[in-house]
Amino acid sequence: MEAILVDCVHNSLRNFMIKNSIFLCERLCAEFPSEINMQLLASCYLQNNQAYSAYHILKGTQMAQSRYLFAISCFQMDLLNEAESALCPANEPSAEIPNGAAGHYLLGLIFRYTDRRKNAVHHFKQALSMDPLLWAAYEELCILGAAEEANAVFGDAAALCIQKQYFHHGLASPNIHMCNEDHNSVSARNFGSEGNSPRQLKQTQGNNLRDIPGNYHGASMMGGAATQPLNSGSSNMSFYSTPSPMATQLSGVAPPPLCRNLQPNGPNLSALSADSSPRSTVNSTIQAPRRKFVDEGKLRKISGRLFSDSGPRRSTRLAGEAGAITSMGATTVVANGISNSSRYLGGSKLSSAALRSVTIRKGQSWANENLDEGIHNEAFDDSRANVTSTTSSSFPTGDTRSLEGGANVPIGGVVMNGTRVVTGASEILVLLRTLGEGYRLSCMYRCQDALDVYLKLPHKHYNTGWVLSQVGKAYFELVDYLEADRAFSLARRASPYSLEGMDIYSTNLYHLKEDMKLSYLAQELISTDRLAPQSWCAMGNCYSLQKDHETALKNFQRAVQLSSRFAYAHTLCGHEFVALEDFENGIKSYQSALRVDARHYNSWYGLGMIYLRQEKYEFSEHHFRMAFQINPHSSVIMSYLGTALHSLRRSEEAIEMMEKAILADKKNPLPMYQKANILVSLENFDEALELLEELKEYAPRESSVYALMGKIYKRHNMHDKAMLHFGLALDLKPSATDVATIKAAIEKLHVPDEFEDL
Amino acid sequence: MATETSESEEEGKISGGNPQLIVDDDLREMAKKAAWSVSSCKPGNGVSSLRDDNLDSYWQSDGAQPHMINIQFQKKVKLQLVVLYVDFKLDESYTPSKISIRAGDGFHNLKDIKTVELVKPIGWVYISLSGNDPRETFVNTFMLQIAVLSNHLNGRDTHLRQIKVYGPRLNPIPQQPFQFTSREFITYSFVR
Repeated sequence: MEAILVDCVHNSLRNFMIKNSIFLCERLCAEFPSEINMQLLASCYLQNNQAYSAYHILKGTQMAQSRYLFAISCFQMDLLNEAESALCPANEPSAEIPNGAAGHYLLGLIFRYTDRRKNAVHHFKQALSMDPLLWAAYEELCILGAAEEANAVFGDAAALCIQKQYFHHGLASPNIHMCNEDHNSVSARNFGSEGNSPRQLKQTQGNNLRDIPGNYHGASMMGGAATQPLNSGSSNMSFYSTPSPMATQLSGVAPPPLCRNLQPNGPNLSALSADSSPRSTVNSTIQAPRRKFVDEGKLRKISGRLFSDSGPRRSTRLAGEAGAITSMGATTVVANGISNSSRYLGGSKLSSAALRSVTIRKGQSWANENLDEGIHNEAFDDSRANVTSTTSSSFPTGDTRSLEGGANVPIGGVVMNGTRVVTGASEILVLLRTLGEGYRLSCMYRCQDALDVYLKLPHKHYNTGWVLSQVGKAYFELVDYLEADRAFSLARRASPYSLEGMDIYSTNLYHLKEDMKLSYLAQELISTDRLAPQSWCAMGNCYSLQKDHETALKNFQRAVQLSSRFAYAHTLCGHEFVALEDFENGIKSYQSALRVDARHYNSWYGLGMIYLRQEKYEFSEHHFRMAFQINPHSSVIMSYLGTALHSLRRSEEAIEMMEKAILADKKNPLPMYQKANILVSLENFDEALELLEELKEYAPRESSVYALMGKIYKRHNMHDKAMLHFGLALDLKPSATDVATIKAAIEKLHVPDEFEDL
Repeated sequence: MATETSESEEEGKISGGNPQLIVDDDLREMAKKAAWSVSSCKPGNGVSSLRDDNLDSYWQSDGAQPHMINIQFQKKVKLQLVVLYVDFKLDESYTPSKISIRAGDGFHNLKDIKTVELVKPIGWVYISLSGNDPRETFVNTFMLQIAVLSNHLNGRDTHLRQIKVYGPRLNPIPQQPFQFTSREFITYSFVR
């Protein structure tokens, strides 16, 4: 009975009939209360966005996978302390972190959000070393400013790592790599202690493989259940070099007895694979520990594992947090199908959830693969048709042990040979290297370099929503709003359903003062997803452009409510508070933004501006300097830093800074103007006049330039020139205050000079 | 600035009114955080009707003339324009005819800065506070008082439907002597 129930649950999950699966699973747990079943139930709850339920049932559990699921639920409920103690219990400092790379990733996120940057960085790096295709971890490292060069991270070591994983996987029993593995009691094949699991995936654990061979052949196949070809050849196929077309049909690489369980998975899965593949981000699945292995004798159930927690989906939506997701996503990527049915489900769910980042994971999901050896499986045979059995010599790592019995690694039911693994891995890594380097450079605000890197991508990757919006962001940071606009609109066309980067697009339109486009964008985004912070940010920008700051503020606050971990929403709230002259709340908002992301230089800038207005020049200089350190290429920040320095009477430094700013961006007229201002206050009028003459060429319709020149001429008592310039300034329709000032200045012109004939 | 229809310069007569409220972009409404009070009112038609953005609700005074509306700010503000919504067709003898605007630090030192006479106004009436001198474009004050000295057809009490007070916007870039007007400058002048 237990087996049947589990199978049903998996089936329902696979078909997204969550309520059904919850119901059945609850009966299962009532009938056979065991921790494994609890885990299955928890994953059902997580799928259904009921993190609180999962939290309650898993509270206090000790199995690694349970702890992992528990940590995910805590994370979603924002109980970061509990999540942390679940993942690394305080009284067992040397306990293994469950789920390997996934666990480290989650732990990294927890540390990041509780302000412990070093630990976060450490864990993300660990995650990456365990699973080099875990893009999300690399992304987080870039955001924290601690990423190493992509070439190093996604380089040869990574290739080796992946290859080893493949082969180890091949030997291991089918396991789900997914982080939220739901180890069904059914499929649990214990390989020994639970603690082992995380280790198994580590490349170096060859031992497992040795242990396995015996057991392996029989039950391991069960993993095969999921060898559903993901994405039956849809767009993903183009990414991967691997898969043999067979993979698509293969469903169960399961040993004959298990086969029947698996079959049904086939059709379902393929349907699900309609993935949002265009995303070129790559997330790798976490190497789920092969923990529980289905025991030969009993398992039949293999199939349904599901997992994909809703957690990942939601988290991604919420800002791509839980790394777990990636594993889910990963499966989708496995175009070649191997996914364990569960895995697959996870994956497909993810894709269907319109995950923004698609994981392109090749190897990891092939948990099921079985190193061929003596497994007689009809299903297999088909898939194997294409695969040639090669010798392990093709495998560069020289880890021939694992390749005994032929370098055939069953992947997705297709037995792949070693070379294909190698080439596949290296291709993915090449892609990741480029994307990673581009992302890292744009996080360091070396935007021009980032753009060059992105251009190296092949067209099919470049023309995807994610890449184009990164390109747009890079242009935006270079203050090249027109190019950014172009890139973003291409991104919209490439993936109209994606919200990633659309907040920056809306700000870009705000800068360009394109209110029609902006309001259209905002409407579209809201109709696509009312619960995404980006949509409300766009809406808020729309109102702000029309100077309706109160409504804009409300919209930004809504965005904050929807996702308090979305730093930009806080920053925009801050900007609106400042426009409404509510400086206290502005400061609070900017500080919340900084709490989420300390490298958000806009918030540092915002704080600097507030202090500048309040004439607290020391604070202002400090904040601008912080912004400058984060983004040393921004001429705007430099010019404000200069202004702050000038207000502190450190005019020498101020002028230096202005000159830097002028050099940094030739198109920015402001530093020249500010420099002229400083020179005027230093009474260095001639230089100032020179500068202003230059500026006149560049921006002939800028009234303040003429006004300042008029002021200078007035000081020199060159009244006709002064008059001329004031007149020009007035013609250019400055604001009312300035009109008043200029007119007053004109009046005063007459006073000292009786000879003037005006 | 605001459009005024047929104002005669010597006496400050304003006839008619604008059906629409249109003000320049560089003006903003200043009195949201000010304290509004009135000299008298009929229950149900109190001071809140002056600020509720509803042209159907009005303030009705209930005492002797002159009727006063006091606006007190928390700090000295620069004001440039006062806009009233009145409707002769609906209010007839309740429509104000002579209005005086006073400014000062408090009740003790209010000084008359503008007097206008309205002639059958229907709609928004713009009253600029600027003097002729460019140095007097703005009135820098803690308090503004709008006094209704007399009504049309010699009515005793008055109706006012809405009042808005405008002043210049702050320079978005602090520490600058002048505001920027051209696109190139404005684009580079802030980070969002």
